[in-house]
Amino acid sequence: MEPTTTNIEKQTAAGVDVTTYDALVIGGGIGGEEAALNLANMGYSVIMVEKDYSIGGKMVHLSKVFPTLDCSACITTPKMSETIRHPNIEILTYSEVRGIEKDGKIFNTSIVKKPRYVIEADCTGCQLCEQACPVVVQDQYQYDLVGRKAAYIPFSVAAPRVAAIDIENCTLCGACERVCPPNCIDFTMKEEVIDVIVKSVIIASGFELFDAKKIPQYGFGKYKNVIHAMQMERQLVPTRPYNTVLRPKDGKMPDNIAYVLCTGSRDKTIGNPICSQVCCMYSIKQAQLIMGALPMADVTIYYMDIRAYGKGFHEFYIQTKNMGVEFVKGKIAKIDEKDDGDLVLHYEDIENGGAPKTATYDMVVLAVGVLPQNNIPELFKNEVLELDEFNYVKQTDKLVNPGMTTIDGVFVAGTSSGPMDIPDTILSAGSASAETASYLRRL
Amino acid sequence: MKQKIGVYICQCGSNISDYVDVDKVLDSVKDLEGVSLVKITMFSCSDSTQNEMVDDIKNEDLDGLVVASCSPKLHLPTFRNVAIRGGLNPYNYVQVNIREQGSWAHSDNPKKATEKAIQLVKAGIERTKYSNALEKTVIPSEKAVAVIGAGIAGMKAAIELADMGLSVYLIEKDFFVGGRITQWEDLCTVEELASDTVTRLYDEVKSKDNLTLFLGATAENMSGSVGNFKLTINIRPRYIKSDFNKDKIEELTGKCKTLTPNEFDFGLTKRKIVFKTYPGALPDIPVVDIKNAGDDINIINEFKDHLDLDRKDESITVDIGSVILATGSDPYTPKVGELGYKEIDNVVTFQEFKRIIELSPNGKLKYNGKDIKSVGYIYCVGSCQAEGNMYCSRFCCTCAISTSLSINKRFEKIRFYHVYKHIRTYGKQEVLYDQAGRQGDIFFKFDEDEEPVVSMVDGEGTITFNDLLTDGEEISVSPDLIVLVTGMVPRDDYKRVAEVFKAPIGRDKFFNEAHPKLRPVETVIDGIMIAGASQGPKSISESTKSALSAASKADALLHKGEIELEPTLAMIDTSLCEGSGLCIQACPFNAITMIDAGGKKLAQVEKSACKGCGWCLAVCPHDAIELAGYTNNEMEGMIESLITV
Ligand SMILES: Cc1cc2nc3c(=O)[nH]c(=O)nc-3n(C[C@H](O)[C@H](O)[C@H](O)COP(=O)(O)OP(=O)(O)OC[C@H]3O[C@@H](n4cnc5c(N)ncnc54)[C@H](O)[C@@H]3O)c2cc1C
Ligand code: SF4
Ligand code: SF4
Ligand code: SF4
Repeated sequence: MEPTTTNIEKQTAAGVDVTTYDALVIGGGIGGEEAALNLANMGYSVIMVEKDYSIGGKMVHLSKVFPTLDCSACITTPKMSETIRHPNIEILTYSEVRGIEKDGKIFNTSIVKKPRYVIEADCTGCQLCEQACPVVVQDQYQYDLVGRKAAYIPFSVAAPRVAAIDIENCTLCGACERVCPPNCIDFTMKEEVIDVIVKSVIIASGFELFDAKKIPQYGFGKYKNVIHAMQMERQLVPTRPYNTVLRPKDGKMPDNIAYVLCTGSRDKTIGNPICSQVCCMYSIKQAQLIMGALPMADVTIYYMDIRAYGKGFHEFYIQTKNMGVEFVKGKIAKIDEKDDGDLVLHYEDIENGGAPKTATYDMVVLAVGVLPQNNIPELFKNEVLELDEFNYVKQTDKLVNPGMTTIDGVFVAGTSSGPMDIPDTILSAGSASAETASYLRRL
Repeated sequence: MKQKIGVYICQCGSNISDYVDVDKVLDSVKDLEGVSLVKITMFSCSDSTQNEMVDDIKNEDLDGLVVASCSPKLHLPTFRNVAIRGGLNPYNYVQVNIREQGSWAHSDNPKKATEKAIQLVKAGIERTKYSNALEKTVIPSEKAVAVIGAGIAGMKAAIELADMGLSVYLIEKDFFVGGRITQWEDLCTVEELASDTVTRLYDEVKSKDNLTLFLGATAENMSGSVGNFKLTINIRPRYIKSDFNKDKIEELTGKCKTLTPNEFDFGLTKRKIVFKTYPGALPDIPVVDIKNAGDDINIINEFKDHLDLDRKDESITVDIGSVILATGSDPYTPKVGELGYKEIDNVVTFQEFKRIIELSPNGKLKYNGKDIKSVGYIYCVGSCQAEGNMYCSRFCCTCAISTSLSINKRFEKIRFYHVYKHIRTYGKQEVLYDQAGRQGDIFFKFDEDEEPVVSMVDGEGTITFNDLLTDGEEISVSPDLIVLVTGMVPRDDYKRVAEVFKAPIGRDKFFNEAHPKLRPVETVIDGIMIAGASQGPKSISESTKSALSAASKADALLHKGEIELEPTLAMIDTSLCEGSGLCIQACPFNAITMIDAGGKKLAQVEKSACKGCGWCLAVCPHDAIELAGYTNNEMEGMIESLITV
């Protein structure tokens, strides 16, 4: 089948008014964006479904990226923008796929658009509602480091940059409604079900972060100065909330910081035996950024092995070592908190006879691993999407057709198929889009 | 001259505003002539700010646009699109770089960084004033791609491109397809054998009508530009006809006596001069290695009716729109004496080890006629070096460990010693590391700055090192075979290939991508893509992914059958041109010709060949050439504003 070369093809299938797209992309992270853009640039029509308020995935929330130290938002916002405005791509944010049913060569797909209580087309992103709203809760986009309102723009570079009402925390006081200039706040908004026909599907739903609370001996959630790596990312972004790195308990600038690698990875006891592939490198990156933000601070990285395997990674690791970051091969047994909030690490010093030792730090960062999103198979109603032994989407022909899954016409891109960094996600998405394009051609 | 210019000064989160006082920049330019609006933005590239600019252009009727932000390499296309969406010609947009050339370069001196930013923004405004609206030219382009190298990446890219409907020329230097993986056969992390993978791909390659495979072929020369390249290919003769008589060739092979080292087995075996690299090599047609024939030349002549002996090198030229380089990599070859290589009998490289496994009889791992019961790996040979190859070769840890597991399914129990610098079984491969430990393999770690020593001790090849896992204790092991886990290096002819295609080379000498994060398969040369291990060490699956990505980029570029050319081209003012011809000599792209216009000789620029490099304008004695988008007015305006403080 030739690609549709113009805008979204409004086909009418079997007399019912249902829009047909060449491809459905589930997830609008960097993987989904790359896959959608490739297909769109090849002339295919795409519908992208993103469960969050904005596309951009994890990458838009990162500080800088290893090993180039490019500002992550700066290099990802253009991709987001390109995706949003591509004439061949339609995007549904704050939406979820409810069901996909294969019917011969097509997939009947039902999508639910959840109410954000703000009319997307009318909102100008003026943030007046945000100022007016009296409710303050923790901001999930800042990984709870700071607060936000119940009426809010998700984050500064969100795309679309449209407000949303967090209805769970909203007191229905109506303050936002009164100040909104275009009058776009609508508390009567309901869930909307949108049915479409797609000819192929790309799963790009990404990964989840390991919940550090599952290792109670590290004290995350209990000891305030133990944070996870995504929280450190937020402290280091160009728009950083504190404008420097601070430890949460008392707002003190830390003099020494420890990284605990492999938190929630390579650990059979918590059910995740594999390596997360990115945490060594992001920790090394953060260590460099911390040295920039707090020139006097010492950073120590406790590791099992340093996975500096990609292009330019080993060089970056050596550079970081030469900058004075200390690397200690040792597994952390537990962390204790002192009265002043300092943290005592108990570890086995492998390279020095394996003796149990302790060391005290102002702040500890847990290099949490990545985990699969394993609710994707449920979306397929009459076909079986198999997962591999680690609960990632199973690649049935890894060597020759890396995007292929157990369902003909369904492909996988990015971290849905396993842990990977951004360049590998781009390659995986590129490959999924090429495989999708030739599948569509063969239809 | 533009009179209503909109100027946006970007904070880039704080990447810029940490060092450049953006308010001061705003104050210094807001009252300049021609400026009708100045704003400070948090992230100019964010979708919402883009929308705001679009609205400003429309509502304020702006006639020029300046964004002072990052390098144009990053966002020139972004903001040109903003201009277009606002209804402005994209060439009335000027990007000023106050990040890479401002805040980042002068983070030690915010005051001066601010002053520099002000000057740069003023110059940018000046340039915008004199900027002209330009239109891109659209020229037809070839719906054809050349893929260089028929390893796994090249074959996969070629198949996919053919499926997408493009014509494909798959050009392989060797006389057989499959590249490196055919040498490994037993592949890491999957059950499949390399010969099966290659057969699958080869069958697909053969089944595509729009895919032409050239074997024994090398790319010699390329001219033109994206969309319209001309590529000259040299094809060496195989000396055996494709409709050859199998029995006769077998008879010939039987009679041949001369033996030469078999490259395929890294010289571990010898081959005849009529040969296939390995029994299952594809296509199933032998090659005659005439150069090394020696005395066998007489036998060959006896069989000349069955051969194609008169065939000479052939040169053909194809028209293509884009190229995918998938030339792969070489294994690192240790220097003689490096860790005992070539000096101590039982020291081999990992790649040689893979051949030793394939050449061993069933049930017994043998080398030089001796049974191998224990193997000692030394990792990171030729990789992660303090000087030289600083990069990690990525595949070797996983493949070495995977081999130690699979080997024990094939042969009697073999004991493995892993003497490592790093173990990098990233991702799901981690479970192999765990399995190797459980199988009883023994791991030792040596210090990054203290390589092990391989020497003869009591007549046995011995590895000696300080083991960090046992408090730095000195340990010696003398396994039956010492395997140097050698990494990947670029192909020996990478320089020549790079030269033909003008492909950029990185510090690690692999082909360099346009952006390591977001554009890993494109290069800065439009239309030239890179795939597989030619871009950097990769596993098979990773190579396939990059090959497919490159295919989708090539298709996006070419499927329309036309391509847009940048309008920043040399323009000749015929009223000033005196036909000196100096420009013709200066142009590196042969884009200028001399025409006869009613008796007067005039230079003329061929748009599709001109790259806008500007060499010609520098040499014209009559100032008759200008570069669109960089006219004298624009440049002089900029210089003027830069020198007036
Ligand atoms: C702390 C940290 C630092 C990192 N630093 C770097 C770095 O410096 N360099 C680097 O290369 N990599 C880094 N990474 C890795 C990088 O984040 C990932 O490689 C990348 O984000 C993967 O992109 P993705 O598109 O596959 O997944 P994601 O970014 O997770 O995107 C998936 C998207 O899908 C959406 N989604 C999920 N489920 C559904 C559903 N059912 N329906 C619809 N939408 C859905 C999600 O909301 C999300 O928007 C880092 C990771 C972490 C955790
Ligand atoms: S109605 Fe809800 S969202 Fe609006 S201002 Fe009140 S609490 Fe905030
Ligand atoms: S990447 Fe590093 S920190 Fe992350 S799981 Fe692997 S070894 Fe551990
Ligand atoms: S993959 Fe392993 S052996 Fe190979 S270079 Fe990297 S660390 Fe060394």
